[in-house]
Amino acid sequence: MIRFESISKTWPDGTRALSNISLDVPKGQFCVILGPSGAGKSTLLRAVNGLTQPTQGSVAIDGTVLTPATERALRKRVAMIHQHFNLTNRMSVAGNVLAGLLPVVSTVRALLGWFKPEHRAKACRLLGHVGLSPEHLQRRAGDLSGGQQQRVGVARAFMNDPEVVLADEPVASLDPKISRDILALIRDAAKERNATVLCSLHQVDLAREFADRLVGMRDGRVVFDGIPAEFTDARVEALYHGVRWEDAPKADKQPGMPALEVAIA
Amino acid sequence: MDSKPIPLPAPGTRLDWRLDPPYSARHLAWLLLVLAIILVTGHRVEMDRMAMMSAQAVGNLIGISDDSQVVRGLSRVGQSMWPPVIGDQEEVARLPELDRNKLPLFSHIEVQQRTEQRLNPQTLQLEQETETIEVLVKPVGYLWTVAVKMVETLEIALWGTVISVLLSIPLAYYAARNYSPNRYTYTFTRGVISLLRSAPELIVALFLVLAYGFGPIAGVLALGLHAAGFLGKFYAEDIENADKKPQEALEAIGAGKLKTLWYGVMPQVAPQYIAYTLYILDRNVRMATVIGLVGAGGIGQELKGRFDMFQYGHVATILLAIFLAVFLLDQFSARLRARLM
Ligand SMILES: Nc1ncnc2c1ncn2[C@@H]1O[C@H](COP(=O)(O)OP(=O)(O)OP(=O)(O)O)[C@@H](O)[C@H]1O
Ligand SMILES: [Mg+2]
Repeated sequence: MIRFESISKTWPDGTRALSNISLDVPKGQFCVILGPSGAGKSTLLRAVNGLTQPTQGSVAIDGTVLTPATERALRKRVAMIHQHFNLTNRMSVAGNVLAGLLPVVSTVRALLGWFKPEHRAKACRLLGHVGLSPEHLQRRAGDLSGGQQQRVGVARAFMNDPEVVLADEPVASLDPKISRDILALIRDAAKERNATVLCSLHQVDLAREFADRLVGMRDGRVVFDGIPAEFTDARVEALYHGVRWEDAPKADKQPGMPALEVAIA
Repeated sequence: MDSKPIPLPAPGTRLDWRLDPPYSARHLAWLLLVLAIILVTGHRVEMDRMAMMSAQAVGNLIGISDDSQVVRGLSRVGQSMWPPVIGDQEEVARLPELDRNKLPLFSHIEVQQRTEQRLNPQTLQLEQETETIEVLVKPVGYLWTVAVKMVETLEIALWGTVISVLLSIPLAYYAARNYSPNRYTYTFTRGVISLLRSAPELIVALFLVLAYGFGPIAGVLALGLHAAGFLGKFYAEDIENADKKPQEALEAIGAGKLKTLWYGVMPQVAPQYIAYTLYILDRNVRMATVIGLVGAGGIGQELKGRFDMFQYGHVATILLAIFLAVFLLDQFSARLRARLM
C-alpha cells in the first residue's frame, strides 16, 4: 500500500505543486490520476520514489516511510514507466531490459554485462509478453517506433518484480490503439504480481476503461476520488474546463456547475 | 507548465506591433571595433609584410617581378632537400663483425676511390691523397632506419594514448559535475585537468628526460599526461551533457551511480569518446615525432641529428615518412569510426 500523508510541495520559485494531499492506494490497485497540465500529477508520482522531495508530509510504502536512509531500498521495489520511454537509445533492447535489474546485480557483473542465464531468460520472456520478437533483442532501442519503445519500457519496469509501478503519462505520445495495448500490458503484468499501479493519464476514456480507481487533481489538490462509474462527463468537464479551483463558486450554489467532492482520506 | 490561459486582449484595442530591424548603431560600433583590432594586431604580427612578400613571390613565379626573397629561400630549401636519401653506406673497415658471405639483405660491397686533402707532416704542405676503400652499400638502408624509427614513434604514440585513456577515466568521473561525489572532488579534479592540459608536451618531456633519462619512457609519459587532461575534460563534459532521461530512469529504480553511468550514459557518449580518442592518437603520432627533439625517443631524435648536420636529404626522407604515417592513420581512423558509429 502506498500512503501519502498530507504531502505538500512548493518549488523554490514559489509554485505550489501539491497542497496537503493525503491518499491511500491499496495493494494491487490500478489507480489513475487525471487532471489538467500543471495539476501536479508528475510531482505526486515522483514523490513516491523520491525523485521529488515533498516540502511537507511523508510517503510510505507498506509502512516504510521514504527517507534518505530508506530511499535506495525503497526504489528497488518501485518501478517507473516514463512518458518519453527514457531508454538508452544507443543501447540494445536487451541491454535496456536487463538494466531493469541493475539495482540487484553486482557492479562487476553489471560492468561486464555478464547477467545470469536466468536473468537473460527473464528478459526474453518479458519481451515476449509485451509483444516484441527475438529479432528485436539486438536492435538499438532508439531505432524502434514509439509504441515498441514503450513496450521495452514496460518490460524493463517488470524485470525486478516491482511492488509498485509508477507510470507517468505512459501513453501520451502513442496512438489510441497502441495506448490501449500498452495500458493492458501494464495492468495485466501488475495484476499477475499483485503490484500497485499509480498511473497518470490525459485520456479520460482510457482512464475509465483501465482504472480501478480514479483520482482527479487540480492545482495541486485532489478534487475527485472514486470509481470510474462516478466520474461522469459533467465531472470531466469541471475537472478540465472549470475556472481555477480556488475561484470556483461552491458547486451546489451554481446550477450547471457539477459538484466535485474534495476527498481527504 | 502553467494552467493559466494566455490572456487575450479585449476586442477593439489597438495593438502596437513593432519588429526592430536586425542592425543598429551598436552593431556598427562593434564592427568598427573588430576591424580596428584586426588591423592593429595584423600589423603587429607583420601580416601586411606577409601579404606583400607572398604577392611578390606569385609575381615572380608568373614572371612579372624579377626577384622574390620567398621564392629564393624556398628553392634553396627545395634544392638541398631533393632528392630524399634512401640508401646508406658504411666503410667495411669500420664493421669488424661483417661476414662477407652473409651480407645484410639487398646490400653489396663496392670498391670506391676516396680523395682527401692531407697535411704532410714533413713538407707542411696540403697533399691530395687517394685511397681505395671498400664500402657496404645498402640501397634502401636509410629508408629502413627511418622505418624502424617511425615504428618506435608509433609505439610511443600508442602507449601515450593508452596511458591517457587510463588516467582520464577516473578524471572524467570526478570532473563530471553530476557524478563527482562532492564539490571539492569536482573542483580538485578540474584543477588537475587544467594543470595537465596547460603543460605543453615538449616542456614536460624535457623535464621527464631529466628524470627518466633519454628514450621513450619520457616521451610516452609526456604524451600521456597532456592527453589525459584533454580527454578527462572532454569525457567529463560529455557525461554532463548526456541525455538525462535514461539516467533518471535508472536512478529512479536505485541502480546506483556507477551502474547508471555505465548503462545510461556510456552507450550514448561512446561514439564521441571514440572520436576524441582517435583524435588523441592522431595528435600523439604528430607530437611523438616532435618530442624526439628533446631526446624523448622516436623519429624526432633522428630528425634533429640530421638537421643539425645539414643533411637535408635525410630530413626530407623523414618528413615524407611522417606525412605518410599521419595520412595512413587518418585513413585508418576514418574507417574505424565509420564502423563503430
Ligand atoms: N523542477 C521544477 N521546478 C519548478 N517548478 C516545477 C518543477 N517541476 C514542476 N513544476 C511546477 O509544478 C507544477 C506541477 O507540475 P507537474 O509536472 O507535476 O504537473 P503535471 O500534472 O504532471 O502536468 P503535465 O500533465 O503537463 O505533465 C507546475 O506548475 C509546474 O510548473
Ligand atoms: Mg507530468
